[in-house]
Amino acid sequence: MSKDIVYLDNSAVTRIDEKVLDAIKPYYFDDYAVATSEFAYTMGIEAKEALENARNTISDSIGAKSEELIFTSGATESNNLALKGVMYNQDKKGHLIVSDIENFSVLNTAKTLEREGYEVSYISVDEKGKIDFEELKEEIRANTILVSIQHANQEIGTLQDINKIAEYLHEKDILFHTDATHTFQRIPIDVSKTPIDLITVAAHTIHGPRGIGGLYKRKGVKIKKLMDGGFQENNLRAGIENIPGAVGFAKAVELITEEENSRLKELRDYLIDKVEEEVEDVTLNGSREDRIPQNANITFHYVEGESITLHLDMRGFAVSTGSACFSKSLEASHVILGIGGDHERAHGSIRFTFSRYNTKEDVEKIVEAVKDVVNNLREISPLGKKGSE
Amino acid sequence: MSEEIKVNCLGENCPVPLVETRKALRKAEKGDVLVVTGDHSASKKEIPMAVEAMDLELISVEEKDDYWEIRIRK
Repeated sequence: MSKDIVYLDNSAVTRIDEKVLDAIKPYYFDDYAVATSEFAYTMGIEAKEALENARNTISDSIGAKSEELIFTSGATESNNLALKGVMYNQDKKGHLIVSDIENFSVLNTAKTLEREGYEVSYISVDEKGKIDFEELKEEIRANTILVSIQHANQEIGTLQDINKIAEYLHEKDILFHTDATHTFQRIPIDVSKTPIDLITVAAHTIHGPRGIGGLYKRKGVKIKKLMDGGFQENNLRAGIENIPGAVGFAKAVELITEEENSRLKELRDYLIDKVEEEVEDVTLNGSREDRIPQNANITFHYVEGESITLHLDMRGFAVSTGSACFSKSLEASHVILGIGGDHERAHGSIRFTFSRYNTKEDVEKIVEAVKDVVNNLREISPLGKKGSE
Repeated sequence: MSEEIKVNCLGENCPVPLVETRKALRKAEKGDVLVVTGDHSASKKEIPMAVEAMDLELISVEEKDDYWEIRIRK
């Protein structure tokens, strides 16, 4: 792959930081024992120490106690463990609430639970992607066990007011889970101040390794173990611990700074302003203010997102689209439809997500390319006014 | 020895013809000729745009009875 590529799909995955890779290496080549070998030999003791140091670093960063973090294989597993783990642990099949625009690992888990006889409510969002808090209150039933509302949306980056939701649910004695995959380390969370019960976190969005994530579980919250096997992770997640992954995850956490998050926000706003200034007929998807620092999502009307992404790729830019034509399913983004957009708006949406390795020059280059590509495509577009003129 | 590679995209909508063309181009050797056929009108315009962006030679764009044929040299 060309080194010259401008990669702006960092919500899909980020490039690993060299310092993270350096931190990981010894746990593949030197100290590669599993943590349970702490009972047998020194290498095992050292491996266990590395795992627990990583756990400390990550849990500390959200104000949690070390024993409240369960390592998983990533956000999908954490979301499954949170939802199924809580719901399966009840004597009777209870009620779950999720939002319409959750990540598929929450939405499809909720649908599985529904098929298994659990009650599930899906609450709507407004045109910016904010949940309707009144609707949430109305949906609460006597048997509501758990509410799962993401901290920020994976496509449009809209932030939810999780503090308000957490406080309300805490009073009602209902468990609250939030998927913080796209906010972890970008937007502060402090569980010592906010009564969130379960939080999904992952390393792949913060220049850490893939295949490692975590579930924060407040002390006292009971969940059912999903996979049978050994007694790892406090007997809540079987399978040998991914110690290199955990070490890399912790290193990735250490490397994020407030300055970096401010810089990402500047890049985001610079791109939004420039696109709005230089390209006609565009709509910013999501909230202008309440959005994660690394995300800009814009619909370019009268053109298909897939065409934009392909033409940008040929010019050396990697972005993603809310359109799903690549899978031939022709299903538009459930998020854009969820905020009241039509299929045309969803199909023309492009998500630009920034990372540590992006620069202002990248933004300038991509805006020029987008302008050119979109104008060319509009000339031949079968979708709208310009193509049919 | 250059080859002629056929890419049949009849019945496929945008962006599939462009995606298939790009996949075939990746596998093709320098000098090979791709013959892409399809019937989606936007793709007929979009593929030549992509050929230009990739700095390849667009040999011809022909309208047949109920489909189009694009020839590209890698």
